[in-house]
Amino acid sequence: MVLTYLWRCIRYHLVLLPSAMATVIALPLLVIAVLAPGGLVAVPRMMAILRRWAEWNRGRAAALLGVPVSPREARLPKGVGAQLRELLRSPESRRDLRWAVRHVATGIPAGLAALTVVGLVVNAVLEAPLWWLFPADDPLRLMVAFPVTGWSQALGLGLAQIVVGAALTWRIVPKLARMHADACLAALAPSSEDRLAARVDELTESRSGVLDAHAAELRRIERDLHDGTQARLVAIAMRLGVAREALGDDSGTVGRLLKEAHEGTEAAMAELRQVIRTMYPPILADRGLAGALNAVAAQAGLPVEADLDHLGPVPAAVETAAYFIVSEAITNATKHSGATRATVRLARRDDTLHVEVADDGRGGVDERRGTGIAGIRKRVAAFDGAVGVDSPPGGPTTITVELPCAS
Amino acid sequence: MRVVIAEDNVLLSAGLELLLGSKGIEVSAVVPDASGLADAVATHRPDLVIVDVRLPPSFRDEGIKAAVALRQADPALPVLVLSQYVERLYARELLADGSGGVGYLLKDRVSRVSQFIEDLRRVAAGGTVMDAEVISQLMIGRRSGLDMLTGREREVLALMAQGLSNTEIGQRLTVTDNAVHKHIGNIFAKLGLPPSDGGHRRVLAVLTFLDNERPPSPA
Repeated sequence: MVLTYLWRCIRYHLVLLPSAMATVIALPLLVIAVLAPGGLVAVPRMMAILRRWAEWNRGRAAALLGVPVSPREARLPKGVGAQLRELLRSPESRRDLRWAVRHVATGIPAGLAALTVVGLVVNAVLEAPLWWLFPADDPLRLMVAFPVTGWSQALGLGLAQIVVGAALTWRIVPKLARMHADACLAALAPSSEDRLAARVDELTESRSGVLDAHAAELRRIERDLHDGTQARLVAIAMRLGVAREALGDDSGTVGRLLKEAHEGTEAAMAELRQVIRTMYPPILADRGLAGALNAVAAQAGLPVEADLDHLGPVPAAVETAAYFIVSEAITNATKHSGATRATVRLARRDDTLHVEVADDGRGGVDERRGTGIAGIRKRVAAFDGAVGVDSPPGGPTTITVELPCAS
Repeated sequence: MRVVIAEDNVLLSAGLELLLGSKGIEVSAVVPDASGLADAVATHRPDLVIVDVRLPPSFRDEGIKAAVALRQADPALPVLVLSQYVERLYARELLADGSGGVGYLLKDRVSRVSQFIEDLRRVAAGGTVMDAEVISQLMIGRRSGLDMLTGREREVLALMAQGLSNTEIGQRLTVTDNAVHKHIGNIFAKLGLPPSDGGHRRVLAVLTFLDNERPPSPA
């Protein structure tokens, strides 16, 4: 057990020394590439190779320490410009360089020291029995300086060197290996800020994925209900209607039951319609966001001017949110503001959908009094967007919403 | 009366066919999509076309587009649009040409058989029938446009939009024909509709009702 571990540490050093020596050339090569004409094309590729080289060494270090590491990618984006930008932006590249310096600075001394003490044992074992092959004017020296001129010295000094070497190996070789491995992993480990940033990126991405999946699911459910349950209910109601006609004015049990069944079916259809409307408005499925918002504008209780020319493509989740936000804001303007007209403006700029609903009402929107702004805020919060409410007493009121649309 | 139906759901088209047949209305053709509709209409010259809003291939608003296209080709062709939900925008688009013979109903209404057949005949006769839910959508949160109408006048207008005749409106509101006539005259005047436009004024009044724009102010 213990010997196996020792042997693993020795093996680690055996590879470490040549690896660190090879890494020595990396930095001058990079400097030459940066300075050389046209070398900038080569730099990202060299950095990618360095990344793989660092990862291979990191894998060895992690295996020695028995800690898990998640491998980093060494993929190059398309285009030299993008590659160089990525290189400058990414903290990983800086880490790779830091690692290279540290790998050389700690790897070479540690490797040399470790192999030297191991060498003490190996030398004694191999050379002591062969002391007589050395020329008389330059005899074999063991324990650093003591010359060997006879079998007793060979045996004594040889054993002494083996014992000292083994003790030193035992004491320092695993320590040096672990020290180097630690340094290597630390150089490549992301800082807690970087880890946090990476986590935020991850969460942002997964959230937008979840929201889109949710919107797509709502759309599918709307379609399924329309083609399935709603259609079936209509067919049932039709049959009940025909049955009632056929039965005529029968006030008996059958007539009463039929009437109840028919009215119950009608109520179910009305309820289902209401549920679907609040879940995923059919017009959004029919006409997309621009068409649906035009419908909202057209059927508002006050004249609404809609500017949707710069809408562009918007993810499904954002589309649904924007629809409900505008509907809510228009309802607010109609019910509470006393406005005579309103404007709706939607524009996508870069990765953000800007929504603006303005009215010429009396303003002074009080968010605490359930004016629907809370609902808007909740919807926007799900997207990590921003809501601005500008409503001085006396008006006008402008509600602005920014919804990120990760593309 | 002969009708052509555009409906992709077999369950519903079969039910509709059965129901109409039992009332002595002949179904000349049932087509599953909008593209076959124009041909079927050209072939059978029906008295009325019944169209579902969502039709293949994309199941969006093909039915509305098909209905508008049919009316553009033949403004006198009565069209009844059936749907599982109603949108005021669609009602407006259907009425936009200003001539009658248009209906827009929830599919639910089909099960009220005699009422439905009555609506059908009304549309075939050039009347306008809007679903009660379209009307109720209008009443919610509506402030402008119809502000100058009295409560009773709004009621009369809503019933007009559903396609009722003066006599029927009188019966529904338990007032005399004369009173209805007077209300309707007031509505036309307040909405600024020309007195000389005959039967089309009813459609125009309904259109104003559906339309968001303020009617021309009665100076």
